[in-house]
Amino acid sequence: MTRSTGAPERAFLGVDTGSISTKGVVTDARGTILARSYLWTEGAPTDAARRVVDELAAQLDRERYEVVAVGTTGSARRLVGAMLGAQVVKNEITAHAVGTTFLHPDVRTILEIGGQDSKIICVEGGVAVDYAMNTLCAAGTGSFLSSQAHRLGVEVEEFGDIAATSEHPANIAARCTVFAESDLVHKLQVGYEKRDVIAGLCRAVATNYLNNVAKGKRVEAPVVFQGGVSKNSGVVRAFEDELGMEVLVDADGHLMGAFGAALLAADAPESQRRPFAWDVDDFEFRTREVVCGRCANHCEVVCVYRDDELIDSWGNRCDRGAVRPRARA
Amino acid sequence: MAEKNLGAEPRATVSLREGESRPTLLRRRRARPDRHSRKRVAFMHYGYYDVAFQYFTEHVLDADYVRMPAPTRRTLEIGSEHSNDYVCAPFKHILGDYVEALEAGANVLVQFTGYCRLTYYGELQEMILRDMGYDDFEMLNFSFVSGRPFKDYVAYCKKVVNPNLSVAAGVANMLVLLRMVKHLDAYNDYYLANAGFEVEPRSFERAREAFFEDMRCCSTMADVDQAFRRGMDALRALPTSKPERPVRVGIVGESFTAADPASNLEIERKLLSMRVELARTLNITNFILRYSEENARRSAAPYVTYDMGPTSSLTISAAKRYIEEGFDGVVHVKSSGCTPEIDCMPPLQRLARDYRAPILFLTYDSQTSDTGLDTRLEAFYDMLAMRKERTI
Repeated sequence: MTRSTGAPERAFLGVDTGSISTKGVVTDARGTILARSYLWTEGAPTDAARRVVDELAAQLDRERYEVVAVGTTGSARRLVGAMLGAQVVKNEITAHAVGTTFLHPDVRTILEIGGQDSKIICVEGGVAVDYAMNTLCAAGTGSFLSSQAHRLGVEVEEFGDIAATSEHPANIAARCTVFAESDLVHKLQVGYEKRDVIAGLCRAVATNYLNNVAKGKRVEAPVVFQGGVSKNSGVVRAFEDELGMEVLVDADGHLMGAFGAALLAADAPESQRRPFAWDVDDFEFRTREVVCGRCANHCEVVCVYRDDELIDSWGNRCDRGAVRPRARA
Repeated sequence: MAEKNLGAEPRATVSLREGESRPTLLRRRRARPDRHSRKRVAFMHYGYYDVAFQYFTEHVLDADYVRMPAPTRRTLEIGSEHSNDYVCAPFKHILGDYVEALEAGANVLVQFTGYCRLTYYGELQEMILRDMGYDDFEMLNFSFVSGRPFKDYVAYCKKVVNPNLSVAAGVANMLVLLRMVKHLDAYNDYYLANAGFEVEPRSFERAREAFFEDMRCCSTMADVDQAFRRGMDALRALPTSKPERPVRVGIVGESFTAADPASNLEIERKLLSMRVELARTLNITNFILRYSEENARRSAAPYVTYDMGPTSSLTISAAKRYIEEGFDGVVHVKSSGCTPEIDCMPPLQRLARDYRAPILFLTYDSQTSDTGLDTRLEAFYDMLAMRKERTI
């Protein structure tokens, strides 16, 4: 393909706003990642998305590439989607499946452990055929590991290296965060070495995942492990030991949701494409919760404003609480 | 004789009164005693069966029915506040319904019986309500008479609700009620299969509301049949645009949560809005009126050998049938801590592996936020749709 001089190449933006971190990528039409960004959400999804967009803008050759469609995913997908005027707002399970199967067409099992949730996606012939997601509690996810790292006085990033030095990993119950924590304290007080406890913690995350999220699912090779926790080599090793097979970790594994969102945006109909203006900094995005008083449900309707203009709203269970933005001029 | 009467009072006298003549008064038949009871009976919310509950109250028990508005977030808040945290979600929903019914002036609360902890719920809920300070009510708790002869049921209803209950009329109307329930379920089956493809938004929902109101006014068997025919005609007349190969999903699970939209955060509406053809075998017709546990268990073989509890055989056999009939996926709905349905999960997982069919497991507690549910359902739908696209 030859590029006509002057006309910029098409590119696609994907933003994945999770509970802990916000990820963004820009891809070209062939699915090559042109720019990437990864930073902490810090409880402010709109602000994090703005920073991600700024970082991407700095990396991208904007003379050469023009972003024509935006996809968002992650738990704040709707909010960030409204803010960026996204064409595609997709759940993180689909985004991960799409992103991973693009990079690893032969993948059979995707393990994903993020900040607050963990999921398993079974793939056959490049299509997700089954998935499961953790229910009710966040035991064994990234936020649990980082809180335990804090307790042990080490950085969570060092976990993998410390765990590698252990010869006798401690046995830690990670079924429930509260039990795991008391078990961990107990082991330390009894005199276990810190590295053994850390290695045990990594092992516990893997076994907890396989016994809960992946229960009843057949884990078949090739296995790809992603999400923030996949950066922890201790957990990767624990998975390999437990499963008895190689576990692939992509260098861009933590960006896979954003990558999938960008691919989905590229798949969106041509008619919806609109050049992305990179102007999120010029506007102020505000959200306001309104409690609908039309019935006893008292739905909390979230209204999103760009400057003073209402651009989207959600949270109402029925039409009585609908707040509709004025049609775009 | 004539002498005897001499001088006595005349036996009868005839007097003429001035003015207009009055019509002759014929002796009327003795007025029927009013058998109606002024007890105000309330039920829990359970799907669309509100219509049938009203018929049962007004035509079988012959008492007043307290019609409750749709449950809201407040209903569940009250229910959870006064329940043990670990009890299953239906208990909390029902308790909340009862409190709101008592506030609305009900003085008889109806509770059913089942093959699980539901059997004890009526008693427990009564105790909780009395502890809360509600004194002026009685429970019509069918678990007290379950398994006993028919006359015990009648005696119990007479004692609690209506001492003048007519058994003949009650039995006749009970047959009408059963027909009504079958019609409601048959209507719902068609609704679930087609509402996802409506051309005009909410047209199916409006038609269904009208049908329920029509059904609510019925009193005889003929009324019920006609209302059903009218309702089905109206529903079939609505324009739809059903694709050739729609995504088809079967819903199975625990009898209360899977069938009650307020408990399952309207999972049916959510799936229908994604243009999915739905089926739910679990309803009163299939689970109570025509249910044969043995047949269900046999059709679920080899995944089930023993009767595992209330809906277990139905859940597994229905899931198996959906998959065999070529449905794209199955959603298993249960409340947190429902032991019989937890027992169903391993056979269902085996079924999913054997037939390579996805089953989505959903657990409900008294949560009111549906973002997590939306994510899971969306992902499930995307997965089924993408899979379908690739396998032509």
